[in-house]
Amino acid sequence: MVSVSMENTSAGTRGAKRSKPARLAPNYWPFVIPALVVISAVIVFPWVFTLWMSAHRWTLGQEQSFIGLENYIRLAGDGRFWESLWHTLIYTVLSVVAPLFLGTLAALVFDAEFPMRGFLRGVFVMPMMATPVAIALVWTMMFHPQLGVLNYLLSFIGIGPLEWIYNQSTVIPSLVLVETWQWTPLVMLIVLGGLAAVPREPYESAEIDGANAWQKFRYLTMPMIAPFLMIAVIIRSIDAVKSFDIIYAMTQGGPGTASETINIYLYNTSFAYYDIGYGSAMAVVFFIAIIALSFVLLMVRQRANWSEMEER
Amino acid sequence: MAPVNISNVQKRFGAVNVIHGIDIDIKDGEFVALVGPSGCGKSTLLRMIAGLEELTDGEIRIGAREVSNLPARDRDIAMVFQNYALYPHMTVKDNMGFALKLKKVSAEETKVKVDRAASILGLESLMDRYPRQLSGGQRQRVAMGRALVRDPQVFLFDEPLSNLDAKLRVQMRGEIKALHQRIGTTTIYVTHDQVEAMTMADKIVVLHDGVIEQVGAPLDLYDRPANLFVAGFIGSPAMNFIHGRVEEGVFRTLNGLTLPLPAAANPATLGGRELVCGIRPEHIRAVTSGGIEGRVELVEGTGSEIYAKLACRGDEIACLFRERLDVRFGDTIQIAIDPDSMHLFDAETGRRL
Repeated sequence: MVSVSMENTSAGTRGAKRSKPARLAPNYWPFVIPALVVISAVIVFPWVFTLWMSAHRWTLGQEQSFIGLENYIRLAGDGRFWESLWHTLIYTVLSVVAPLFLGTLAALVFDAEFPMRGFLRGVFVMPMMATPVAIALVWTMMFHPQLGVLNYLLSFIGIGPLEWIYNQSTVIPSLVLVETWQWTPLVMLIVLGGLAAVPREPYESAEIDGANAWQKFRYLTMPMIAPFLMIAVIIRSIDAVKSFDIIYAMTQGGPGTASETINIYLYNTSFAYYDIGYGSAMAVVFFIAIIALSFVLLMVRQRANWSEMEER
Repeated sequence: MAPVNISNVQKRFGAVNVIHGIDIDIKDGEFVALVGPSGCGKSTLLRMIAGLEELTDGEIRIGAREVSNLPARDRDIAMVFQNYALYPHMTVKDNMGFALKLKKVSAEETKVKVDRAASILGLESLMDRYPRQLSGGQRQRVAMGRALVRDPQVFLFDEPLSNLDAKLRVQMRGEIKALHQRIGTTTIYVTHDQVEAMTMADKIVVLHDGVIEQVGAPLDLYDRPANLFVAGFIGSPAMNFIHGRVEEGVFRTLNGLTLPLPAAANPATLGGRELVCGIRPEHIRAVTSGGIEGRVELVEGTGSEIYAKLACRGDEIACLFRERLDVRFGDTIQIAIDPDSMHLFDAETGRRL
């Protein structure tokens, strides 16, 4: 930083050389190189290599050959890819909406004063701390149509046994149930933080202005916690869209391909069928989709942020 | 507009009694200031009138209605808070129109009312801004505008000027007073600043430790404070208190200084007990001869007046001179006190004699 600012200053005095871009002083590089090496090794190289692989026909154990955009063209006509994209979309939307709704509800409950609130809040956030594979094992047992506790509990309210993850029509909602169970506490914590940051005085104004409890929630609480809800949506969306561990541990994308998301399809293509080139093309498209989604969500978040409104 | 009657209102927080049975009658259209030091219970009392705090005991009536147990939204009052309490995510226009929106008033009527309030307060050019884009004074105006569009029976102000700088405070003080004179709505105004209370109110209620020390018109409180607390609280700079006794027809301070007695005072009834003589600094004049000698310990000149503290035989006397005097630290000057401007209080009870 010091070198740069000195360069700018001296460039200002030189006048004639001002049009040339400022160059870093030679003694600056030793500080930059370690970070450049690390970034190149863990971010730049894998991406360049993935792009390179996606432009090749490359099955593990065989010779690779350059095929240009052929993998991408193949992807566009691959029904299974589009099906996995659809599954990813449904899974993501449900895995965002359900924890968002329940997490907000839980945050409103835990924002109020009641006995043992701290202890119960601690219990509530415990699922978030558990290992995904362990969670998958426990829920797989709970989902078991004959031996699982869920069907046993449903029998008390007169609902017949469900096939949960063993049925094509219920597998994604069942997986979303696990995702919701694990990640509702995260949303709750984010929204609870938002509620703590909300100023209390406007509520007294609203009380005097004639607002009832629902109107205070609708016109004050919701808009004021909207920036926090958007943060929760961004975190949950990015997390859900690239969800892999729970789905793979519980269904491996099945029954059939009923729960095969892009991640699972990508994994199967690359490491079950060893079609590395095609899998890489999928990874590139998926990455671009996630970046696009992030941009959209960040823009929406900016719009929802009332505390920064004066800067727009 | 409506009168407000407060009868035997009490408030306890747990074991702590903060309001001890207060009675105040506020006439229709009156501007009443609740004044007192921090912790005296004035804001708590205002919040009870607003319906934001429950009463432990007593009764509050607004107009003919008993409102003690009504929620704030049903009391037909509007309140301006110390920190403005604007809705941070709403524009000025939406802030001002929110109460009408809740009442499901039509958009046209809301616009007319909001525009009228905005024009009274000079907010027309700020209607699409958010509270964070406004200065303190502008936010204060929006808070008043929000109250104004409600057209309530009573306006409540909770130290609305204390977050503003000195110049803006004086300006807003005038604007609130002018607004009250224009619309005539009953107003209850809480402040710890006695100058605000003196300049704005028709009637001042001085509170101390949850009890009323005195109720009266500003000049009554200034001219005839009921006790030492009110005497010390009302008036700026604060009144001088000098302890002494009435002996041989004069007031002799404990340090031996002799002061004349007011003409109305009866030495016979005042003798034999310790008294406190109250003298306002602005009632002391500088004289060239025949006065009380004092050494200047402090001088502060503001251009229009000179504030000085004198050491007079061990008694410290603060003086406020309107004339230009060439006094410096360490000078010895003479002062004269008009006996009829003196106040005598019982040192034990603090009551005016």
